[in-house]
Order: sequence, then structure tokens, then C-alpha cells
Amino acid sequence: MRQHVPRTPGKGTREPKNAAKEPLVNLGPLSKLKPQAARQEDVVITHEDVDRAHDRVRVSAARGQRGAFSKFRLLWLLVGPGILVMLGENDGPSMISYAATGARFGIGFFLPFVILTFCMAIVVQEMTMRLGSATHRGHAELIFDRFGPFWGWFSMIDLGIGNFLTLITEFIAIRAGLGFFGVPPWAAVGTALAFLCLAVMMHRYWTWERTLLAIAAFNLIFVPVALLTHPNWHSVGSALITWKPLPGGLSQDTLILVLADIGATVTPWMLFFQQSATVDKGLTTKDIHLGRIDTVVGAALAAIAAVATILATAPLFAHHMTAENFQGAEFAQALQPLIGRFGAALFALGIVEAGMVASVTISISSAYAFGEVTRRPHSLNLPVTQGKAFYSVLFLCAATAGAIVLIPGLPLVYVVLLVNVVAVLAMPPALVFLFMLANDREVMGDLVSPRWANILATGVVVFLTLAGLLFGISVIAPNLFVFLGGK
Amino acid sequence: MPAKDKGHISITSSDQELVLSSLEPEQLAGLKKHLIPRRHLKGPEKFVMWSLRIYLLFMIVVVIYQVWAGLH
Repeated sequence: MRQHVPRTPGKGTREPKNAAKEPLVNLGPLSKLKPQAARQEDVVITHEDVDRAHDRVRVSAARGQRGAFSKFRLLWLLVGPGILVMLGENDGPSMISYAATGARFGIGFFLPFVILTFCMAIVVQEMTMRLGSATHRGHAELIFDRFGPFWGWFSMIDLGIGNFLTLITEFIAIRAGLGFFGVPPWAAVGTALAFLCLAVMMHRYWTWERTLLAIAAFNLIFVPVALLTHPNWHSVGSALITWKPLPGGLSQDTLILVLADIGATVTPWMLFFQQSATVDKGLTTKDIHLGRIDTVVGAALAAIAAVATILATAPLFAHHMTAENFQGAEFAQALQPLIGRFGAALFALGIVEAGMVASVTISISSAYAFGEVTRRPHSLNLPVTQGKAFYSVLFLCAATAGAIVLIPGLPLVYVVLLVNVVAVLAMPPALVFLFMLANDREVMGDLVSPRWANILATGVVVFLTLAGLLFGISVIAPNLFVFLGGK
Repeated sequence: MPAKDKGHISITSSDQELVLSSLEPEQLAGLKKHLIPRRHLKGPEKFVMWSLRIYLLFMIVVVIYQVWAGLH
């Protein structure tokens, strides 16, 4: 039920003419852009607003208190979108890409390279958190409103296709991981869909976020698996400092893994998800500093899990073993003679967890974007009756992706890795929108990106574009690729 | 707390006060229906956007070719 309540100065009264120059509230930068909205006399209060208000009251209470415990409590209340987006991006195809990297190249160049990609992710995701906190608008909504439907639909098509392909690979990962334990494919997909239903049917953003954070923490399950392989720490240290070795040099296969590993950390759905989740959680400009900490902590945790996965499968390289089919179960089975049944089971569980968490976050990312573009209610605080479209899109995307995975004889080889490659290719256009919005003074006010952030963001766009172009050259003009230093 | 009745949630006056005192106006779901003023892209911006669009389409074709080559 929605309820209209009068807002100052009172229903039916008109404001003086000179009030138009002064926003009613001195809060978000957008109030300068939307004097009509800010002076709205009637405000519609929804259940979504009430839930968010309860969350904000707790934040205000924690902020008003002094002491280390209160600061920690404030951080605890505000973390979420950053950690979830980073651990969510450590999804099925990402972990499989890292596992393939470890098995193909061992300990070497890719360890520091993966850490670099997470640094790029911090640069990019910090902008989405800042945008969401400053505007209280989702990414899709901002692009549509600010740049119009023409560019908005391009962006949405990129997101929709990318999300759907990635969702398919999440179900491939879940199927492969549970397959290690003898679970048939239909039961694996059914379990994943049931998990998705349970995760979003809490009708409360806060409960959903905390539950998913607890489950996402299992992404670190790859750390004990890595320790079971007894890594050569001297080689790890040397690789982190020297960025070597890179066995086989820069071949086309290497380039695919380079792109897959980049796509494992920076993808379009992350931009849409973190900004929408920031808005749904109710972060404001006062929370930006802790939002940055949330993003950095998430990236650090995800980087640890990623590096651990490379270390876990590195023995496959050292023992000249290969996992021909890049699916999670094969890696777990290949590792079993080296780390035992328990270690292999942990690895398979890690792949399942990665797929499960990401299937939730990516489905929600699609549903948020759909709601923002169609102007329908879109929040995890919504009851089903008020968010039918939001929940329908969420389940429809997931169920269709799950059904595709069950098609017999579907060629899954390459698909998992190439989805990450496609994600990298779609990033530059998405990043340019993000870059323009984060530097739009009319939207962001004084919170526009500082010069150093723009330099870093430009570097990320150029790097991703060049990496994609190099891949294209290696495919269509191998001779030119060799001329440029490839093999 | 709002009372729940057959899936509908009634908003009490204390809820209203809570919402209006703890949320910024821009955070209210009802106010998000107002559009943000449009900004038209300038020439160089359009050039960059179209270049990246062509880049993306071209690279997708390359990926499809790569998949086809891999499967054959």
C-alpha cells in the first residue's frame, strides 16, 4: 500500500517564488537538477522507504556514538555492496579461468597480473559507489535519463546479453561442481534455482545482503585448498616481484587467458549491480568514505581467493597434468591424486558456491536494470505483490539460463572462458558512460572524480581496449600478431 | 512496525515520520519517477561512443569466429 503524506510546507500551500532558486533540502547534488522533484508537495511513502528508513536509523545511531566499537559497527552496517560485487564476480567462470591459468602457467606472471586486475576493479567500482551515493539512482536509470534512450538501450542490450551468457556459465559451474559429488544435472540446476528463490524471498535488502555475505565468504574456501598443495612460497614471492615466468610467451592461448582473467574482475554487470545495491541499501554522500573501504576490502578478499585458486591448480602444471575441459569438476578430479578427496571436494564446493552467489547477484543486476529503465518498483525491500515485474525478470533470467545448461550435447568447451572475454570487450563502452557520469558536475556536484581517478580510469579503458584489439589481431591477422611480439 | 494484512503493508504515521526524518528526499521511491534533465552528447563524445560501439560489434564477430574455429 502506498500512502500520500503532505510534505513541508504543507499540502495545498504554494511556495514563494524565490524558493525556486533554493533546493528544499540541501542534500544530494541532484536536488539542483530537479527543483520540481525537490519541491514536491505530496510524497508517496512505500514499504520500501520504511525498510530503508529503519536501516538508516541504525546507521545514524552508530554514527552519533564515539569509540572504536561504534566505528566498527558503522563500518559493519555500511559494508555490503562492495564486498558482494567483488566476491560475486569471483563467479563460476572466473574461478574456472583462474584454475585454467594455474594449470596452464603455474606460479608466475599471472599472480601479480590478477592482483593488478583487482586494482582496476577498485578504480571502476569506486565510481559506481560514489554515483549511487550521490544521486540515489541506479546506473541504467542515470544513463537513460542523462543520455537518452538511444544510448541507454545500447547499454542495456550489452548488459542483458552479457548477463544472460554469464548466468548460463554460472549454471555450468554449479552443474560441474555438484557433478563431482554425483548430483545429476537436473538436480544441480533445481538446487541452484531453489537457492535463488530462498535468497531473494526475504523481502528485505538488509537480510538478503547479510545472508549472501555469509555465503560469499565461502569463496575463501580456495585458500585451504591452496595450502593443501604446499605452494613454493619462494616462487610466489619471486613471481609477485618479477612478473615472471610466462611459459610459452604471449601466444593466442595466453591472450585468451589474459582476457578471461581481466573479465573475471571487471565486467559490466558489476557497474550496474554495485550502483543499484548502493541505492537500495540507502547509502548517502556521508557514507562514501566507508563505501570505499567496503570496495577495497571486497577486492582484497576476492584477490586472495583468486590467487589461491591459481596456486591450488599450479601443481597440475608442475606435474604436467592438464584439465582438457575447462570445467570445475575436471579440475577437482585432476587435483584429487595430489591433495586428496577432501581437498578436491573443497575445490568443487568452491566452484558451486561461486556459481550460486553469482547467479543471485547477476540475476538481481538484470532485474534492477529492468526496473530502472521501465520505471517499475525495483528493490529487494519489496514484497512480491509490489514487485511482481522485478521478481519475474529475476527468476525468468535464471530459469532460462538453467534450462539451457540442461540441453544435451550443448558444446560447453570454450563457452566458459569466452564469456569472460566478451565481458572484457563490452567494458570500454560501459566505462565511458561511467566516466562521463562520474565527471558530470550537474549530477555529481562537488563529488566529481578527482584528476587522479580520471587518469586511472582512462588507463583502464585504454588497457582493456588494447587487450581486446590484440586478441582480435591474433585471431584475424596472426602474422601481424607475431610481428607485434606474439607467438 | 507496519502491520501486514494479506500481503499489503499499511504505513503508519510513525513510519511516515521515520521515513521523512531519516531518508533524504531523493531516496524516496516515489520521487525517483522524476526524470533527470537530458544532456546531449558533444561531437567528440559521440565520436568516442560510436568508435567503441563499432569496436564492440567487430570484436563480437571475432569471438564468434574464434568459437566456430575452435569447434571445427
